[in-house]
Amino acid sequence: MGTTSNFRWPWQYDFPPFFTMQKNADTRFKQTEAWCSLILDYHNHHKLFRLRVTDVLASPLFYNKAIDRRLTKPDVIEILSILHKKGNIEWEDKEKTVCKVFWKTPAQWSDIIFKWVNQSGLNNTVCTLHEITNGPHSSDQEFYALDDQILMQAIQILQASGKAELMGTEGVKFFT
Amino acid sequence: MRRRGVGASAITKKKLEAVRYKEHGNELAMIQLDQLSGQLETFHSHLEKFAANHKQEIRKNPQFRRQFQQMCATIGVDPLASGKGFWSEMLGVGDFYYELGVQLVEICITTRPQNGGIIAITELHQKLMKTRGKYAQDVSIDDVRTALSKLKLLGTGFTLLGTGLKQIVKSVPGELNMDHSAILELAQKSNGKVSHADVKSVYNWQPERVQDVLEHLTKEGMAWVDTQTPNKETWYWFPALFGVGNNK
Repeated sequence: MGTTSNFRWPWQYDFPPFFTMQKNADTRFKQTEAWCSLILDYHNHHKLFRLRVTDVLASPLFYNKAIDRRLTKPDVIEILSILHKKGNIEWEDKEKTVCKVFWKTPAQWSDIIFKWVNQSGLNNTVCTLHEITNGPHSSDQEFYALDDQILMQAIQILQASGKAELMGTEGVKFFT
Repeated sequence: MRRRGVGASAITKKKLEAVRYKEHGNELAMIQLDQLSGQLETFHSHLEKFAANHKQEIRKNPQFRRQFQQMCATIGVDPLASGKGFWSEMLGVGDFYYELGVQLVEICITTRPQNGGIIAITELHQKLMKTRGKYAQDVSIDDVRTALSKLKLLGTGFTLLGTGLKQIVKSVPGELNMDHSAILELAQKSNGKVSHADVKSVYNWQPERVQDVLEHLTKEGMAWVDTQTPNKETWYWFPALFGVGNNK
């Protein structure tokens, strides 16, 4: 599990104008791209799967206290909408206050999980969803403590390609 | 007594004298020329011998290399002039600078998204050392300058602005005029940032002129605009000049 202290901020985080949306199109593109990867890296590092806009505005992610620069709400929304287009976030409400953050997309998670199933010989057996993300066999896996809803999305992708079948709402059977 | 007129024999004698003088003069000139070319040859061979003897030193020691180059320049020899001739074959210096040139171009291009095509020469040098690795021969800032000067042949792509260690290398086409350079110079002194007021107080330009220059640099992607400043003024930041001193 990551800790707050050792996250490596990109150089832009200390660059004051990074927090002011740039008017020059090229520069703005570089800026929003850098913000997109920063948001994903930050959530990845802290194993966070959800972002609440009102909460995050005051978090270190969007507020650099040391240089006293912050991103405003409209700016955050703009960057999130770019991430949405890239398929890296999904709004949970129409008002766009909370979103899921996919630093890996459900498709990528499904690949990782299925690889693990093959490696640990869990094919043709039934597992509970809980034991996949919180069981003793997966404690060293990237998807350990993965968000339930994202896990469900990943399993559904496997089901659609015939690699797994959901058993009720709690279990899943993997095939080969 | 009959006054002696100019006799035929006297004329032939004079003519003969003139021819002799001329011959003698030619002879002297030939001797001098011989001596001179002989001297040059000796000098040339000595220089070659020197170069051969100090080949390793010239390759390895950037300061020595610089002095050797200066020495060559004073007698009109350019060891970098071509990749073929004697000098580059003997020393490999021609290739050396071509190699540096290629590496410098690579660095400039890869950092362009970050700095908009301007980079401090000290940073460029540091990055060059990093890409070349520990075991490559030592390279000085002067070598960087020499390699860059060779790149100038390719057009206006690579230009050096300013002087000394504060020099900035511009790797994007398009001219930067004196005003732009003046702004960069100013920004370099304060961690990569300038404001209208800074420019006005140092250069005493009209507001329109300041605005014009700052807008141009922003348009070129070299400057970023910062509106969240403590004094509510707009600041212009140059990624290329930001944090150069306290390197990361």
